Amino acid sequence: MVKIDTIFFTIVDRGKANAVLRKARECGATSGTILLGEGTVQSKLLDFLGLTETRKEILLIPASDELDTNLHDQISQSFNLSKKNKGIAFSIPFQRRTLNNSSQEHNISIDDERFNHCCIFTIVEKGRGMDCIKAARAAGARGGTLIHGHGAGVPVDSYFHLAIEPQKDTVLIVTRKEKAVPIKMRIYNDLELNKPGNGIIFTLPVSRTSGLFEDKAEDRKGGTS
Amino acid sequence: MSSLIDKVKEVAKTLIPVVVLVLIICFTIVDVGTDVLFRFLVGSVLLLIGLTIFLWGVDMAMNPIGEYMSKEVATSKSPVKIAVLGFLLGFLITVAEPDLLILGNQIEEASGGTLSSFLIVYMVSIGVGAMVTLGIFRLLRDRPLNRFMAVTYGIILILGLLVSQEFLAIAFDSSGATTGALTTPFVLALSLGLSNVKGGKYAEENSFGLVGIMSTGPILAVMLLSIISGQKNIHGDAGEYIFQKGVIGPILEAVPHIFIESLVALLPITILFFIYNITKFKIKKSEMVQIIKGLIFSLLGLVIFLTAVNCGFMDMGRIIGMELAQMSSSLLIGIGFVLGLIVVLVEPAVHVLGSQIEEVTGGYIPINLIRMTLSLGVGTAIALSMVRIVVPEVKLWYFILPGFALAVFLSFKSNPVFVGIAYDAGGVASGPMTATFVLALAQGAATVIDTANVLVDGFGVIAMVATAPVLSIMALGTIFERRKVVELKHSAEETGSVADMPIAVSDFNHDCLIAIVNRGYAGYVVDLAREAGATGATVFHGRGGTDHPTVILPIVNIELMPEKELICLITDIDKSENVADFILKDTELVEKGEVAVYISPTFALIKDFSSDETSTATV
Repeated sequence: MVKIDTIFFTIVDRGKANAVLRKARECGATSGTILLGEGTVQSKLLDFLGLTETRKEILLIPASDELDTNLHDQISQSFNLSKKNKGIAFSIPFQRRTLNNSSQEHNISIDDERFNHCCIFTIVEKGRGMDCIKAARAAGARGGTLIHGHGAGVPVDSYFHLAIEPQKDTVLIVTRKEKAVPIKMRIYNDLELNKPGNGIIFTLPVSRTSGLFEDKAEDRKGGTS
Repeated sequence: MSSLIDKVKEVAKTLIPVVVLVLIICFTIVDVGTDVLFRFLVGSVLLLIGLTIFLWGVDMAMNPIGEYMSKEVATSKSPVKIAVLGFLLGFLITVAEPDLLILGNQIEEASGGTLSSFLIVYMVSIGVGAMVTLGIFRLLRDRPLNRFMAVTYGIILILGLLVSQEFLAIAFDSSGATTGALTTPFVLALSLGLSNVKGGKYAEENSFGLVGIMSTGPILAVMLLSIISGQKNIHGDAGEYIFQKGVIGPILEAVPHIFIESLVALLPITILFFIYNITKFKIKKSEMVQIIKGLIFSLLGLVIFLTAVNCGFMDMGRIIGMELAQMSSSLLIGIGFVLGLIVVLVEPAVHVLGSQIEEVTGGYIPINLIRMTLSLGVGTAIALSMVRIVVPEVKLWYFILPGFALAVFLSFKSNPVFVGIAYDAGGVASGPMTATFVLALAQGAATVIDTANVLVDGFGVIAMVATAPVLSIMALGTIFERRKVVELKHSAEETGSVADMPIAVSDFNHDCLIAIVNRGYAGYVVDLAREAGATGATVFHGRGGTDHPTVILPIVNIELMPEKELICLITDIDKSENVADFILKDTELVEKGEVAVYISPTFALIKDFSSDETSTATV
């Protein structure tokens, strides 16, 4: 069937993901998964009022290289991603794993010079996602997207022998590669991730971006291989 | 500022139809007078502001408080403690509810003083406390909601045959009175918090239903009260209604009274929370500041909202009801239906329920569809209430008792998530808008029609509004369930084959594994991954479409996407393939769960905690 070697991520306002997925299907995508998340806004007034979230949807589409290029073009055109606050799209190299495919090595590397950006994932306890974004901002990131999820069950000693599923905040930050290290270190230190149970942080390479305003002049240079 | 505008827009979208319709009625059919018209317009603007602030306060304060309290309840070590805390929560939120006190006074008057309002308020609060406790036990024990509610409504049905018509109406109305603007969002948050703490396969179903369970408490309490006291008939008449004069005057006059009422309603929970915070939770200061801000917003918003509704909408409803009833009864029924359709969407709790449904189901259940169904239910309910006022032969129990019997029957056929939502919807729909605007409309009509009794007919309206959405959403759930069955048959085998990739040397220690499965299989995947050497995982809820035929609901043309779970694992590079293969080898998972696994190398900052108890770590 289709060769899958990237996952195409789109982050748009709540309610728009269905339309994006429909468009992606027109381009030839076969499937997509939509998660709910929250974006951030930068405004002192809103921050004071406590209204610091905008509701977003994150759409994941597994795609081949060819389809990925196509999706970037088509979707940024149809949904005006090149304009501010309309949403962003980026691709992370992923390999679809199946049983009859057992290639032992990966062909992707985070240091690949073709990739200008990377995506930092931080998974922390619920409620600390915003702290994480603050730390990242202090180190030069523009913003982040928050997704609520839960960890695997941990049994607790209570009357009902519950396996509590700890609530987690996952923060996605897409940034230029050279900024990634300071951002990561800042989050790592500020949120004390060196202590057990506080959370983890990891980075994935990003092969292509659309609608990212971090550094517009160089934005489009992200190679497609 | 966009998020602020978004919030205002969301509220405005539901309010504008109401304003437009009322204005059309004012300019074509009914002459209401300038005072009332202007007060309505001022009220509409205030309502928009108040509701926006209130919803925002609920987000900031009620949800975290509900979350902390539910964690405290669920992790208690003894059942007695759970019972006491559950009872206390239910009792406190109800006893302070202003609507309940008003209802109590009305009943005291109507029963000629045999039933004191004090007795009624406490009986109802005890009823709510008891039902909330049972509801919490049900949730923690994973007992199915449909059976629980079948038993509860079975008891109500039997009691319903024993009490008089009037008390049947009062009983159902008192349930509407307890599910006020503050209690409903709080109980919704409590229910969500409990199911989040508990987790497991039924987390989604368990997130709803507590409001529904809670609202049966008052019904049982009042019915028992009627049977024990032998009080059967209520009589008397509602006092002469005086329309307020002026535009700004009545609004300002109402504020202090409403402020105190709202404060009293908010206090018990706040105090309980602060006591627990000092002794147990010890929340960080910055978070506490947010919660306090949220509480202030909730109070402020509620005061503005209630002022707007009481001053701007009540008189308007009454005049329209009176005038329409004089003109033609079919017009009254028709306009009642249309008003019901749109008024319910302005209810604060409907907004709260909507965002909660979206959050919990990862967008799987389209909110607009829920809103439409809710509208349709309430519209029908109000139309039927008007029929009841016009035609005295039509009795309340013709609708209520068979309605609930049908709802119980459908709850066994319906999609389990919808069962909870449906039972909650009853309490959610009968909020302050119904209790003022719609009730005023009905009472206005009843004063003009000779055969109608303002008191008796007025009482039944809220009961109808609380019944109809239960039925309509349950029906929607049944449709969803049937569609789901169809969809599974169609679902194509997902077979992806990956071409061989060029081999490159990898310099990473970890891999990021993403597995996407159908809902309900995430726990299973995590178990398998653990067996294969992974230590933990993070699970996300979402929805997704694959290339097999998508299910589209007829008429409304809404696409249903199956719910998915996305599992994110960080594993050692040499283990990742083992884990992936182990997951893919499980035939059940591949066939029923439609699992897909993706791998990417990652650079992870993970410290080595061999005894790490949380979800992620490596060796």
